Amino acid sequence: MTSKDVVYTFEGQIKYDTLPYHIQFADQVASVTAKDDLTIELKFKAPSPRFKFEVLTEKFDTGIPIVPAGYLSGQADPTKAPGRNDIPHSGPYDIVAWNTNQKIYNLREDWWAVKAGRMAEPAVKRVVIVNILNQPMDTVAQRIVNNEFDSSVDMRAQIIGNILQQNPEVQSWTGTESPYGYLDWWPNSLWMNDKLEPYSDPNVRKAISLAVNRDQINEVLYEGAAIATIYPFPLYPNLKAFADSPEVKAEEAKYEPGKYDLDESAKLMEGAGWAKNGDGLWEKDGKTFDATIQAFENIHGDIAPILAEMLRQAGFDSNVNFGTDAYQNMVDGKAGLYMFGHGASLFDPFEALNLFHGKYSNAIGSSAGNNRFSRYANPEYDALLDAIAPLDSSDPKFISGAAKALGIYWRDTIDVPVIQWLHRIPYNNHFWKNWPSSTNVGLGTNGAFWAHTGMLVITGLQPSGAK
Amino acid sequence: MNIKIIVKRLLFFVLVVWAASTIVFFIPRLSSRNAIRERFGELARSGGFSPGDIEKLIASMQQQFGLDKPMLEQYWQYLGNIMRLDFGYSLSKYPTTATEVIAQALPWTIGLLLVTTVLSFVIGTLLGAVAAWPKAPSWLRGLATPFILLTGVPPVIMGILLLFFIGFRLKWLPLGGAYSAGIVPVWSWSFFLDLMEHQILPALALILGSVGGWVLSMRGMGITIQGEDYVNFAEHKGLTGGRIFRDYYLRNALLPQVTGLALALGTVITSAVIVEGLFGLPGIGTALNLAIRANDFPVIYGIVIFITIAIAALMTILEFVYPLLDPRIRAN
Repeated sequence: MTSKDVVYTFEGQIKYDTLPYHIQFADQVASVTAKDDLTIELKFKAPSPRFKFEVLTEKFDTGIPIVPAGYLSGQADPTKAPGRNDIPHSGPYDIVAWNTNQKIYNLREDWWAVKAGRMAEPAVKRVVIVNILNQPMDTVAQRIVNNEFDSSVDMRAQIIGNILQQNPEVQSWTGTESPYGYLDWWPNSLWMNDKLEPYSDPNVRKAISLAVNRDQINEVLYEGAAIATIYPFPLYPNLKAFADSPEVKAEEAKYEPGKYDLDESAKLMEGAGWAKNGDGLWEKDGKTFDATIQAFENIHGDIAPILAEMLRQAGFDSNVNFGTDAYQNMVDGKAGLYMFGHGASLFDPFEALNLFHGKYSNAIGSSAGNNRFSRYANPEYDALLDAIAPLDSSDPKFISGAAKALGIYWRDTIDVPVIQWLHRIPYNNHFWKNWPSSTNVGLGTNGAFWAHTGMLVITGLQPSGAK
Repeated sequence: MNIKIIVKRLLFFVLVVWAASTIVFFIPRLSSRNAIRERFGELARSGGFSPGDIEKLIASMQQQFGLDKPMLEQYWQYLGNIMRLDFGYSLSKYPTTATEVIAQALPWTIGLLLVTTVLSFVIGTLLGAVAAWPKAPSWLRGLATPFILLTGVPPVIMGILLLFFIGFRLKWLPLGGAYSAGIVPVWSWSFFLDLMEHQILPALALILGSVGGWVLSMRGMGITIQGEDYVNFAEHKGLTGGRIFRDYYLRNALLPQVTGLALALGTVITSAVIVEGLFGLPGIGTALNLAIRANDFPVIYGIVIFITIAIAALMTILEFVYPLLDPRIRAN
């Protein structure tokens, strides 16, 4: 791989509008030039302090893998090249078998990182990723308990708790203690179409927020751990520092985004012209308030029914739709609430706040982009974001501007933040040890083997000695 | 058999396949769901995937899969493709074709579901016949009782019980998968043994609950036939018990069972969806289940049409086989 591949990768992002970082490259990058085999020069149209981290850095599920120019430039349409086993790569493992049951990767003997002295040779010689298809998660859990699997996708609290009880060799990120997981970058909110009645009324949105009891969520779902949130970003160290800044604390005190108050919620609903019917549900013009929560059973099976019940207690006609049309309903902007995350900020709050910029606010009748379900549009908010976009996150002006934007997010209840997202992944020490945990972060804080950084988890494993 | 009847049956076969193909083409399209958007949604919620312009990407994919063309044009193209058994690319597993998905899944379903259905039929029919045959030893007749007790236990319940006790608690057999993780399927004795080990629990889940049904229906038929004149006549002629059992008793009682078998084969796919999912087997049922969940039209079309052709062909063959089993049909 040389700078030629890097230039090809970046120019591809500029050229093809279906690629993940097309908007960032098209908006911010003026030119890409290879200076020599190991150096490229990027010229920006305006200061872009977040570009390196947000776009170029591989983390969680984002960042740009550099693609091989030689292979892809020979394809009719490089954005649709199947790739499969043919595409050259620089990773430690080659795919040697791939069918509907499993993918098998073998360690390549010629891995450049070992030759270059950058990494020790990985102890894991073969990686088998089994397709669990639609096998129930309970059975997958049993297979981990029986040492058939070393790890799996993340699980709900009760299931991973049972696994830890039944097999002492299995650990979670937090050992055997709740909440079992580490913070993912995907805090979940109850989103809504802010352009659609009755959700277009900020008071109605606030009334919904006031009906969410975050303390109870922590108690019921997380055994008291403070996982419920009021922020659209995860509380990673730098973001936690931002959240604790006096500017943000002032906005928080002003708008009380985490407040649970059914009386105040009721007052706001009455002020918006709603009245409770005989069933205790808000009703207007003969129709109850449709607060159906669109969600995904495999990941929201625990939280969504609890939220629906809280909303019903407050008079909203709420239930849960776990159907396969849930995502489509969010994109189409149908009436109701959408349980979904904000995959945006990791270091500073800009990208999370930018999700609500008016330039992404699609009209009713058109589809909303991913993570743009709120369709919120407010010139005051946009101006704040435009002003802080070129600033570094350590700049005091950035912090005060971002805090004001966050204040508007709370004031207008653009969405209702509910929980930070946890990756509760079981790790089995029976055959392999040195799994990532809160006390073993040597290989990074993201222990998901499926993420862009997943190979760090696998290449860091050591045999436990069991056969 | 009369040539006119054969032609009529074959025409009926073609009509069934055409009708099923047409229904299966239009039904998924009545839904407002968009398979490609749902696929991106799945990527988004599982990994934060965020394409540059999702609408452009969706439009581009729609064009690639031919979903942007008028419905009637898609339909004619679809019928033409069916004639060549070409169902196009899977929407959720691109660039795998729907035919490849079916070809990969089919051996698992045939290997497990078809074999267990036929095995249940054979075991149940023989046990039922023996249970009703007064001259059979009592221990042999008693063999049917446990199966009758298990009649009607759904495969999914049986599967969960077997998984929990045999797989999880006792650890005698694997908890799922078609074969052990990391093994590459090759024609070898060790792979065959591993494969069989993984098929025992799903096979038991299917067989244990269904044998009783065949036992009961066959026993009922057997008891009815015992009083028939031709059975009494055969006894008075002095024929041996074995001959009477085989030629007079079993053969006559078998016809409704064979009809039942044909119907049971038609419902194999229902069991496949449940049992294959429970045991993590990559058969047709699982492929269909995943395709429906992903609104993957080409794979849904491919599987449903394949099943339709298979069942219609089976029924047609049975129509031709009946006269061989029952001379009275042949004479008429």
